[in-house]
Formats: sequence, structure tokens, C-alpha cells
Amino acid sequence: MKAKVLSEIQIDALTEVFNVGAGRAALSLSEIVGEEVMLSVPSIEVLKAEDVNSRVLTLKDDKFATVSQLFSGPFEAEAVLLFTENYALEIVRDMMGSQMSIEDLAEFEQEAMCELGNIILNACLSAMADMLGISLNSSLPTYAMSSPDEITARLADKRDEESGEDDDNDGSYVLVLHIDLVLEKHHTEGHLIFLLSSTSLSKLISHIQQYLNNIL
Amino acid sequence: MLATQSPKKVLIVDDSKVSRMVIKAHILAAYPEWSVQEAASGDEAIGAVERDLPDYCTMDINMPGMLGTDAAEIILAKHPQLRVVIFSANIQEAAQSRAQQLGALFVAKPVTEKSIAQALGHFARGA
Repeated sequence: MKAKVLSEIQIDALTEVFNVGAGRAALSLSEIVGEEVMLSVPSIEVLKAEDVNSRVLTLKDDKFATVSQLFSGPFEAEAVLLFTENYALEIVRDMMGSQMSIEDLAEFEQEAMCELGNIILNACLSAMADMLGISLNSSLPTYAMSSPDEITARLADKRDEESGEDDDNDGSYVLVLHIDLVLEKHHTEGHLIFLLSSTSLSKLISHIQQYLNNIL
Repeated sequence: MLATQSPKKVLIVDDSKVSRMVIKAHILAAYPEWSVQEAASGDEAIGAVERDLPDYCTMDINMPGMLGTDAAEIILAKHPQLRVVIFSANIQEAAQSRAQQLGALFVAKPVTEKSIAQALGHFARGA
């Protein structure tokens, strides 16, 4: 069930902010892989943490190469970039130069994927920071192979952290952003997902409202 | 820009209501006498142009349904005199050159006073 914590106009503004962010991310990615990146129209859902499952996240594959980074500032968000497993290495090959064999590349996979995630996620988050007039710091990226259930489990962790600091424990919310980055030559898709705890979400909402007040 | 220009008609195409509101507000701040129409998709834009031909058009690219650049191509094929600005968050080379091929000006989002000024400059050069 969808939680109604954002007004329609706030959802619209937030979607547009992420849209600009995804545009910058796609530019970075296209320069790395030397191919146009097709972007889907972003959609945002605010969900109760307990309602989030792999179906809601629209993760159809079994395994994903995930790069995640924590962004902190006026609010905290975990940004996760997912690529379908088989093709992550091909993207790494394009980054590193095509003369290397896939076997040799496996050695660099972790480092290269972290760097790729770092570039893409920072492109996206920096657009958001610029538009909202805030400053966001990022942690070092971490790379993991994750199943949809493991990704969902991370959300559950977030809820636990939250309930510790929140006395009126009426459940926490997560913001799930869906943007697909499609690389046709590589037959692969990347997904961007942003996870915010309810505390951070309410802070983000106040910044979005401020942004709206300034522009309208 | 000549103060004696007759009032113009602008069509704003964007799936984001906020973006349409901001573009509209900036345009009307500069030209209070202009009339503004809005469309939320490429299909709606094509319909709006047929009903009431505007002088100028701002067009988003990534929208549900048809791409804004495809809608602009259809519109410009029929109405080549229309001045079009492609307003997009997708700032990749491919998107920019597509806009150029259409004879439209590419302006990177976010929609700000500065980016609106670029669009208005493009409109004025066609007046």
C-alpha cells in the first residue's frame, strides 16, 4: 500500500530533481561505455518499510551487481546502483580497455564497479544537492553481488535502526526511485534505487517544499 | 527583443507539472501578454498544435509515451516555422545532436532563470 506522506506536487518536484540527476548520471555512464544510455521516465514510490519486497522493487533477475553509497548532509540516503550480473563485467571491460580478457578483468571487477558506481551515483546526487541548495557528502562505495531478497533485507535493517530513535514507532518509510538505464549494445539494464529512512524522508520533504517555495 | 512585438503563443510540453509551472512563470514574467498552453505528453502536444498553432514550443524529451524529440519532429514536419526549444535532463550527446538535427535549441534542465533566458533568446531570434 502506498503511504501518502508527500503531496502530488512534492512528488512531481522530487521526480524532476531525480530526473535531472539521472540525466547527469547517464551522461557519465555514456562517456564511460561509449554508447547512448536510454533513460526511463523516473517514478517514485514512498512505501512503508514493511511493505517493501523484491516485487515492489521490480527486481526480476536473480542476482545483481550492486554498488551502494551512503550520502549524508541535511538528510541521509543510501543510493544503490544495480546492474544485472552477467553484464557488469562487460561494462568494466569498456572502462578498462577492451584488450583485456574477461578473466583478467575479474580481478579488477570490484574496484572498477565501485568507481563506476561512484561516478554515476555522485552525478545523480550532486544534481539533487545543486537544485536543493544543500551539500551532501558521500561515503566510499561498496560493491556486492546481491539477490533481490538481500537488497530487501537491507531495507528491513534500515527500519530497525529507525525504530531505535523514533519513540512514536508508527513504522518508517522508504522512498524507492525507479530509473532504468538501458545500454542497448550491452543488452543490460541498470537500476537506481534510493533508500531513505522516515526521519531522512521528512527532512528531504522539507527541502523539497523549500525548493518549491523558491521557484513558484 | 522588440517591445512592439505582437503577443505570442507558447506551448509548454513537459510531464512534470512543476517544470511546466516554472517555465510558464518565467515566460509570463518576461512577457506578461503572451498566452501559454500546456501539454503533458508528446501526443497531447501534437493535438494542441493542431487545435491552436503556437509560435513557440518548449519540449521535454523523457515523457510517458512518445519521446519529446519524436513529437517535435512530427510537429516541425508540418509546421517548420515553429521555434522549438528542447528542455531536457537527458544531457547526453545523442540527445543534444537529435535536437540540433531538428533545428531546435537544446537547453539542459533544471529549469532555472538562466535556462529560460536561453530559451527566450532562441524564440526572439525567430521573431
